[in-house]
Amino acid sequence: MSAPDFYFAVNATARHINDAYGMESLIDYWRSLGEEFYQKRCEKWRTGGLAEIAEDWRQYFLQEPGAVVETSVDESAARLDIRVCPAIKHLRDSGREIVPYYCEHCDHTCGSMAETAGYRFSRTGGMGACQQVFTKAEDSEGN
Amino acid sequence: MLGCQDFCGYYDWTFRYLRRKFGEQALKKYWAEAIASDSQAHYLASGEQAGLRGLYSSWSKSGEDEHCDWSVTLDEEKNVLRLDMHECPSKGFLLQNDLNSDEDYCDHCIGWIGPALTQIGVEVSGHEHNHCGQCWWEMRMVDTDSQPIAIEKDIRSDSRWKHGYLHSYVNHTKQPLVEGLSTTDSCELLQNWFHKAERIVVLGSDSAVGKNELVLRPDDAVIATGKHYALGATSGFDCRAVILEHEPDSLYEVANRYNNESGERPLLLYSYLPQKLRQAFLDNDLPRPLPILPMLIREGQYVHQPEKTAPTTVDFAKLLAHALGKPVVASARNLKEPQS
Repeated sequence: MSAPDFYFAVNATARHINDAYGMESLIDYWRSLGEEFYQKRCEKWRTGGLAEIAEDWRQYFLQEPGAVVETSVDESAARLDIRVCPAIKHLRDSGREIVPYYCEHCDHTCGSMAETAGYRFSRTGGMGACQQVFTKAEDSEGN
Repeated sequence: MLGCQDFCGYYDWTFRYLRRKFGEQALKKYWAEAIASDSQAHYLASGEQAGLRGLYSSWSKSGEDEHCDWSVTLDEEKNVLRLDMHECPSKGFLLQNDLNSDEDYCDHCIGWIGPALTQIGVEVSGHEHNHCGQCWWEMRMVDTDSQPIAIEKDIRSDSRWKHGYLHSYVNHTKQPLVEGLSTTDSCELLQNWFHKAERIVVLGSDSAVGKNELVLRPDDAVIATGKHYALGATSGFDCRAVILEHEPDSLYEVANRYNNESGERPLLLYSYLPQKLRQAFLDNDLPRPLPILPMLIREGQYVHQPEKTAPTTVDFAKLLAHALGKPVVASARNLKEPQS
């Protein structure tokens, strides 16, 4: 299990880049992180498909302290039902001021990872609990 | 989501991102503002409240959370808080996963700790790190004298301390990297070392034109591989630098030549790839070589790819020449002295 105080730095980094360079730069940072740092995960998603995406996240959340997440997969989508977001929980429990756009990092980082792997990402909810869905890019476009 | 399990990996990547997008000063600002004053605000709060004892409590908690193999020693009477990191889990994550995005990950600690402590009247009176997961720190309240304390587990007495290359700080100030040279930046040191060179000649074994003889020009600077230097291939002309192999198997011979040089000694260089950090330079009576990756990364000549085969030593020497902005002569096996 990892040190949850690292979530403080994720929150602070978002605030700093937004305040110093603007939201456009913050989005570029989040997207670049997905494309570059998570390149290997993207490759695994591309070759392993939706089942790999669901399993990858299941394993990932197992290592995040306090996370309560259900993953499921069928032929059309990999779904994450994030009942307790470990980051938001830890930030709240620690009395930290959470940037209002914190959850958008998932849209952009997971979004760019999904696109790199040939999928699409969507999120509903946020700030503690949300549903995240990965679908094949062509399906999302209605092809 | 961005989790905490791989945070150190994308933290390193973030440093590189900020450097390349916004420059060196932006990275320092990030450490001072985002990390010191925001992310690590709990250190500031406890330090403000209880001085060194407050910092001691914060670091002890972090040590438990991050499963640090370290010792923390507090002596308030002598005004010293001392940390000895035996195996840094943060750097360890990078080494374990073969990650090296930024030119110097370890700099982030002094990058945030320095500005944070300044805000609460504490200073780093001494600090060194070896880039292999070992470091030590001494901190004190600035308005009070401090006295040396005895340390039970001084990391400098540990065999792991011999690995890597050192960055040293005294009273928040970075010290020169090489004795006798004033610069504290390895890239600047390399630029200075080669500034007179019109071109770089690489002497190595995997040469494309190795069968040919090359006549050196007076303003050439030769970089030899460790093996060639050890074999005496640089005899008769000035060898400006020696780049040691990733798995140096001729350190004894290199040391023998290096320590018996009659003229100016070459600058010893090494890649310090994440999986090849722990080499026995000191055990072979050699100084710690200067790292080349910071220069290559800064100048965009190298991006470390985890688990991918690294460039050869000769290729690294060529990349270094490119980073220095010098033309490079394809490595030659047989060199002749400059013609007068």
